[in-house]
Amino acid sequence: MQYKLTLDYTLAPGWMRPYVDGLKTGQALARHCTACKETSFPPMRVCRCGDTQLDWVVLSGRAQVLFRTEGIDGAFALVQFDGADTRSVVSLDRFMPNTHHGHLAPSTGDVPRLCLHPITEAEPT
Amino acid sequence: MVPMACVFGQSLEFISESLKMSRHDAIITGAALTPYNRRKDGTGFRDWSTDAFFDALAMAEIAVSDIDALFVASESDFFSMQLNPASVLATELGMTGVSATRCEGGGASGQLAVHAAVNAVRSGSARHVAVIGVDPSASSLSGDAVRALYGFSFDVWTDGFTGATSSALYALSYQAFAQPYGTTDDDLTRITLQTRSHAQKNPGAHLPLDSTAQDIANSPMIASPYRRLHCSPLSDGAAALIISGQAYLPQTRRSAPRVGGIGAATDHMHLGARPAPGDFVAKSVSMQRACAQAGITSDAIGLAEIYDPYAGAALQGLVALGLSDDPARDLRSGVFGPMGRCPVNLSGGLMGQGAPVGATGVGQTATMAMLLEGRYHPDLQPHTLPRYGVADTHGGLCTTAAVTILERGAGA
Repeated sequence: MQYKLTLDYTLAPGWMRPYVDGLKTGQALARHCTACKETSFPPMRVCRCGDTQLDWVVLSGRAQVLFRTEGIDGAFALVQFDGADTRSVVSLDRFMPNTHHGHLAPSTGDVPRLCLHPITEAEPT
Repeated sequence: MVPMACVFGQSLEFISESLKMSRHDAIITGAALTPYNRRKDGTGFRDWSTDAFFDALAMAEIAVSDIDALFVASESDFFSMQLNPASVLATELGMTGVSATRCEGGGASGQLAVHAAVNAVRSGSARHVAVIGVDPSASSLSGDAVRALYGFSFDVWTDGFTGATSSALYALSYQAFAQPYGTTDDDLTRITLQTRSHAQKNPGAHLPLDSTAQDIANSPMIASPYRRLHCSPLSDGAAALIISGQAYLPQTRRSAPRVGGIGAATDHMHLGARPAPGDFVAKSVSMQRACAQAGITSDAIGLAEIYDPYAGAALQGLVALGLSDDPARDLRSGVFGPMGRCPVNLSGGLMGQGAPVGATGVGQTATMAMLLEGRYHPDLQPHTLPRYGVADTHGGLCTTAAVTILERGAGA
C-alpha cells in the first residue's frame, strides 16, 4: 500500500533566535560565559562550566578547517571559528582541497545553515 | 572547565552501594530475533514483533499471563506510521492490561528499553517483563527519506538544517579519533571484513557479503573516508527479550544469564563542544557504571556486541569500552576475532547483521544472552563460554550511550 503524508511545520527558535537571525546575514552570534570566559559557537544555553550567565557576542565569521569529509551528501567540516573555544560542524561550499580557511556565508532559503565559503586571499603562514 | 567526571555526576561507589541495598537480580530468560533484511513479503512490524516475542516467551518457558510489563523500543513514528506502538503491541500480543511503555533514545532506544525492564524487575514491581524492539527502517520509506530523518537525530537547529548527515558526522568524529590512535584505512578494511565474515555464518543477517578489500575500495564514497561497504544497511526486523526476577526464575532456566550491570550516559549534543571529538565519552562513562554494578573491570569481558553503524565507530567503541588502548594493534593480532581473547560482533554487527533501529539494542542483548548460554548459531557459538559479555548501543553520535553486561548463568 502506498500512503503519502505531507507535513508543513512552523518551528520557533526560542532562545536561539539571535543565532538564527545572525545566520541569515552571515553573522556568527556566539555565547560568552561571564564566569569562565569561554565562548561557544554554535551557542550553548548552559556553558560547559555549568554557568548560565552568558552574553551574546559577534564573532568575525572566519574559521579554520580541522577535519573535512566529502561524499554523496556534500562536503562538511569540523572547523574552529576565530574567537570561539568550541568547534562547529559546517557545510563547505566550493572549497578546494588545499583551502583551509573560510568565512560564514549568509543562509540561503528559510532555514538556518552553517555554511562556509572559502577565503581566497593569501592565507597566513 | 569542569572535569567530565563531575559533569557526569554520580560516583561509581554510590552506584555499587545502592545496588547492593536493593538487589533483585534480573535474568534473561528469553531471547529472540527475527531475520534482519528488507521485507518484501507483505509482513509488517506487528508480525515481526509477534514472531520475536513468542519465540522469546517459549525460551523463557512462561505464559503471556505471567508478563507484568511491556517495554517497546521504536525510534521513529515516521517509520511505522504508528504513534503509541507499545499499547498497540500489548493488544496484538494478547496482554491488554499490562503496563506498556515506549522507549526512545535514537539508536540507543533498544538498550534503553532493556534498562527500563531491568529496573522494573530489580525494583520488585514486575516478575517478568517483555522487551520488544522493532522498526521498519528499510521497507516503509525511501533511503533518501530515512537519511533526511536521520539528519534530525542531531541538533536540528545546527547540524540538521545545515544538512550534515549521520555519515558525515561519524566521518568527522572518526578522523579526530584516527589521528591520535594511528588507525588507517587498512584498519577500516580489516574490521569490515572480519565483521562481514561473521555475518556470512548468521542465517538472519542482512548483508552476509563475501567482500574483498578491493570490493570495499571500489564501493562508492559516502562520506570520506567511509565507503558504502564501511556502512551498515537500513533493515526491517524485530527482537525480543523476557527478563525475569531471580525469585520467579523457572526451574528449567537455571542456565539463563544474569544482568550483571547496566550503565547509560549522555555527551554534548554538538560534536564541536566535545573536548576530544573522536572519543565516545558517554560510552566510557556507561561502561564504568555498568562495570561498577557488576563489580568487575573491562578486562573481564570475554565477548562483545559493539554498536558499529560505521567501521570506524567499532574501533572508537573498542577504546571507549576499555577493551583496547591500541585497536589497530589488537585488531591485527586477532584479539577480537572468533578465536581471540574477546570476540567482537559475532552476529555480524550492524554492518553485517543489519540495523532495524529500535530492534538493534534489544537484538544485541538477545545475541549476547544466547551466546553466554551456548544457544547461538552453531557456526558462531564459541566452545568456551566466558563469564562476562557486553552489549553496547548508542544513539546520535554517541550522544546517548547504553551498555549492558551479562554474566553467564550457573548452569551454562
